[in-house]
Amino acid sequence: MTIRGRKALPCMPMRHTVAQPRRQGENAAMNSAEHDTGLPEAGATPLGVGIGLRAAHYDQLLSRARCADWLEAHTENYFGPGGHDLHVLTRLRETYPISLHGVGLALGSVHGYAPDHLRQVAELARRIEPQLISEHLCWGAVAERTFNELLPLPFTHAALALMCERVGQMQDVLRRRVLIENISSYVRFAGDDYDEAGFLNALASRSGCGILLDVNNLYVNECNLGVSAAAQIDAIAAQHVGEIHLAGHRVTAAAVIDDHGAPVCDEVWALYARALRRCGRVPTLLEWDTDVPPLGVLLAEAERAWRHYEAVEVADDVVVA
Amino acid sequence: MSLSLEHMQAAFAAALLDSSAGSVPGVVAAPDVGVAERMELYRGHLLATWRQALGAAYPVVRALVGAEFFAELARAYARAHPSTSGDLNRFGAQFSAFVATFRHTQSLPYLADVAALEWLVHRAHHAADAPALRRERIAALAPDALLAARFALHPACAWLVSASPVATLWLAHQPAGNTELPDTLERCECALVVRPHWRAEVLIASAGELAALEALRAGASMDDTIAAALRVDRDFDFAGAFVRWLDCNLFTTIEPG
Repeated sequence: MTIRGRKALPCMPMRHTVAQPRRQGENAAMNSAEHDTGLPEAGATPLGVGIGLRAAHYDQLLSRARCADWLEAHTENYFGPGGHDLHVLTRLRETYPISLHGVGLALGSVHGYAPDHLRQVAELARRIEPQLISEHLCWGAVAERTFNELLPLPFTHAALALMCERVGQMQDVLRRRVLIENISSYVRFAGDDYDEAGFLNALASRSGCGILLDVNNLYVNECNLGVSAAAQIDAIAAQHVGEIHLAGHRVTAAAVIDDHGAPVCDEVWALYARALRRCGRVPTLLEWDTDVPPLGVLLAEAERAWRHYEAVEVADDVVVA
Repeated sequence: MSLSLEHMQAAFAAALLDSSAGSVPGVVAAPDVGVAERMELYRGHLLATWRQALGAAYPVVRALVGAEFFAELARAYARAHPSTSGDLNRFGAQFSAFVATFRHTQSLPYLADVAALEWLVHRAHHAADAPALRRERIAALAPDALLAARFALHPACAWLVSASPVATLWLAHQPAGNTELPDTLERCECALVVRPHWRAEVLIASAGELAALEALRAGASMDDTIAAALRVDRDFDFAGAFVRWLDCNLFTTIEPG
């Protein structure tokens, strides 16, 4: 396994703790009254390209020098009062900025939404002090059962009102801004009031949350539902985008399956470059959740993302050497 | 008139659970693809999620019955005991009780206890952390003080008694282990779950040992604990058991009597 040396790491630690660079003009929008929710910003945002934290890589990440800009952990894997997973995350947070990425809140569920789950997220956030906390634009439960699946919401006024309420609760309990991610879906709804970008923009501006833009999900939806990913990127409110996800998928006869089990495809790399041009250097995560490869393969993908990331022209870049 | 969000989710949920459901009101796919085909993909995902979550908690049950049968078991279990938490680590709490009464596992009477043991291991993995009691603390006690003291057990510590050799079965299925499969499935066995160094482990325990641990958990002094063990087993080797408990970091604190 060969790990390509990156000139920025680990000899440029300051790069990880500076404020997130924004395009000129967009900072003004961030600070305008319309977007000022009174919520504290996440503070020093992890810059650069992170990787998803998987148990298969625990030992290597603990034993070797820092090899990624930051790590994203699936929040629910670290619930519970103790044990090995939480121990590892607690140790890794000493070296890496951490993002907590939740998959279990099912924010858009009319029934079956569990405030206790949010309390556990808050407890973990208190212990880990993550740089970012995110969840999904989805629903996933009815009164008597949880599907443990990210299910699609219609992009309607009613769904927006519910999501604003739930994201508001989440931000109140966590006392910080959260990021909400667009999901991949096999179906969509007739009679939507918004397209996906429009829905996310409205959610961000009304609730004060940020957007976690999953470029692979946009591409998967383009394949499965015929919605142009490029058009969604072009329509997203760049000033709200606080993180980008990249992942691979599996093409089957029935549909493109968003399994995070393959290298990022060329089309998604092109969409990533498009998103970076639009949004600037947004913290980017390489996800690989099934058929998890050796760490070196994941790092090589992160390196490739980094080359895109680094190539973006940023007017007020504040990278500290 | 569009469906309310509440009704949409109820209809969607019903379709996820009913493979004969064709369309869902208001739901569309791509122009050349039917909704039914796409809902079938979601149903497949759900089955895979249940199978994987239960497989992660019950790897020995899965190995004992085979992947194919386990998938059916997972499907049946999820219907009888739906997940009610966004935390999948909680899914499967009633699996042992389900296996005990499920029609197609009646020929495997040991299976429910293997499942019960695996759930204890699963819970031990996520149990609270507690620093192990330092041996110097014990060595510093005079014999009388040791007998009067109360020892607190590690939060991950758990045990069960089975009519089958479930601890041996569990150990025989560990990749790094060298335990042979039991020669008979009709032998009572006590299983002790400990977490000495982050990883949960299973030990074969004696009846006297479990009687002692029951007493300790109830807050008994060491003197009363030994008496409880001797009532069950007149030949109980307390010194040997005590050393073993220390070796697996079973104690966290000590309270003078």
